[in-house]
Amino acid sequence: MSELRRTWIVARKELRDHARDLRSVLSALLFPLLGPVAIALMFQVIASWSAKDAAAEVAIAGRANAPALVAFFERHGVPVKDAPPDYEERVKRGTLDVVVILDDDFAPAFAEGRPARVSVVLDSSRTKGHARAQRVRRLLEAYSAQAGALRLLARGVSPELASPLAVQDIDLATPEKVAATILSSIPMFLVFAAFAGGMYVAIDVTAGERERGSFEPLLLSPASRGALVTGKWLATVAAALLALAVSVAAFAVTLRVVPLETLGIKARFGPAEIAQVLAAALPLTLFASALQMWLSTLAKSFKEAQTYLQLFMMLPFLPAVYVAIAPIEPSLWMMGIPILGQDLLLADVLRGEPIGPVPFLVAGGVSAALTAAFLLATARLFRSERIVFAR
Amino acid sequence: MIEIHGLHKRFGSVVAVEDVSFRAEDGQVTGLLGPNGAGKTTTLRVLSTLVRPDRGTVTVDGIDVAQRPFDVRARLGVLPDTRGLYPRLTARENIAYHGELFGMREPALSRRIDELVTVLDLSAVAERRTQGFSQGERMKVAIARSLVHAPQNVLLDEPTNGLDVMSARSLRAFIRGLREAGACVVLSSHVMQEVAALCDRIYVIAKGRVAASGTSAELLEKSGKTSLEEAFVALAGQEAEAL
Repeated sequence: MSELRRTWIVARKELRDHARDLRSVLSALLFPLLGPVAIALMFQVIASWSAKDAAAEVAIAGRANAPALVAFFERHGVPVKDAPPDYEERVKRGTLDVVVILDDDFAPAFAEGRPARVSVVLDSSRTKGHARAQRVRRLLEAYSAQAGALRLLARGVSPELASPLAVQDIDLATPEKVAATILSSIPMFLVFAAFAGGMYVAIDVTAGERERGSFEPLLLSPASRGALVTGKWLATVAAALLALAVSVAAFAVTLRVVPLETLGIKARFGPAEIAQVLAAALPLTLFASALQMWLSTLAKSFKEAQTYLQLFMMLPFLPAVYVAIAPIEPSLWMMGIPILGQDLLLADVLRGEPIGPVPFLVAGGVSAALTAAFLLATARLFRSERIVFAR
Repeated sequence: MIEIHGLHKRFGSVVAVEDVSFRAEDGQVTGLLGPNGAGKTTTLRVLSTLVRPDRGTVTVDGIDVAQRPFDVRARLGVLPDTRGLYPRLTARENIAYHGELFGMREPALSRRIDELVTVLDLSAVAERRTQGFSQGERMKVAIARSLVHAPQNVLLDEPTNGLDVMSARSLRAFIRGLREAGACVVLSSHVMQEVAALCDRIYVIAKGRVAASGTSAELLEKSGKTSLEEAFVALAGQEAEAL
């Protein structure tokens, strides 16, 4: 009987066994949803910012005193409504963000060229209304500057003389920027799924099997250690791939649902991108599973293995955090570092940058070589008396 | 047939087996009798190829365990010291998994499992997951698993450990059945009565050496005692004094 057939027998048994295990199934199905759900929530928040901006509306008391000002507001996309009589109460309670008051002296003062008084009522302890109050104030300033310029022109003076400074705000914290930052965390979550998905299976088929006392009977079969290790590894990889697939599918749905276009972001996640994402992440699941099995075989107990692997779950986040803090120019040798390579590769794919086959081959080749090394090391541990009979 | 000559095995500085030799014939039950820690389990692990001997020759049907472990495993059915089952698999699936690893195929595999289920009286639980099985049920499944490939040589490490009287009795009847079928059965135990009731030949092992051997009658005669328990104490103790 071939060792290939025995490998398949072991893999099939482990798959059937773990399909019946809630913990295995949940860790393969729920962990990978973490990223897409987090990103969907964050986009919900960003979208609500811009939705508020769009519906900006201002309440004005005494609008009849300044029809030209009201027209100016409306021309700039800010609808005007009458302020309710109890506006002060409402602003205090937070049901109204900002109210503009034009008193009866406004029209005469404006006509006579005296400074016409405009009051902006707001509650500065509430951050919610800041953006709208600022917008209203800017519009008022713009109107004031425009009226002033017209008066100077009427008297034959260049309005530029009255504006010695041309101050311009350049705000970098635009929703677009925030959204791009959020999107750049997708590779990290994909790498995380590759590690988290097979974690439970990797522990259960090694440390778990020994703890239950079924390891020694298994080793008494004429199957080679290589076939046993490979079969168990295949079952682990299947769980990791399931997690990766769930994660990719969830991201594809999330990116279709969130309003990226209104934020002016191009994030392509079509079939071509999905294929490239899988090409980058697949070798990593092979490597992650082999590494996890080796560590779990070394551990003395299920719990010890769990501790090791949970520490290793930090691995996907380290390069991502490093890249975020100290942006690095990706070069080919970095593709050879597992996890970092995949992080960079996946980021390039999601940005829609053209990537040749070489980075994929370098990243995949190194992962494949390490996978083989860890599988051989695990098979060696399966032969060790110290490991087999450890209690 | 199983033969061991001058087996020696140490783990680090701890000598597990000093010098053990014995021969187990086909159609016989051979007992390894000794207190806990005497080296019985290590001897059986060397026989089952999971532990390599430091010195000595160990053969199963004439095949050296150190040189051809895979051929030896195919001829052995072993109930080891640890005998855990897969709790999420049914009794039948547990047994079938090992049958398949030993190269068995349907429909022969199912026929053989049916046979074992009947002989071991497992039919009530065969299709149930083994989670929550009683000690006796677990033991029977473990035995069926180790014998699924109908091995010529059978190693049983403390087979009645933890069983109630009824289960132990039916297990002894099963082991006699194996002997009748011509198998070479080696079992280890620290329970005198069990070994006396089952074994054609007994090796008393103490401190990693064979202290005495023979039928139970011969051992009684050698020790000059009237009860087996006293004979065991005398034989195992003598060796301790001689060291």
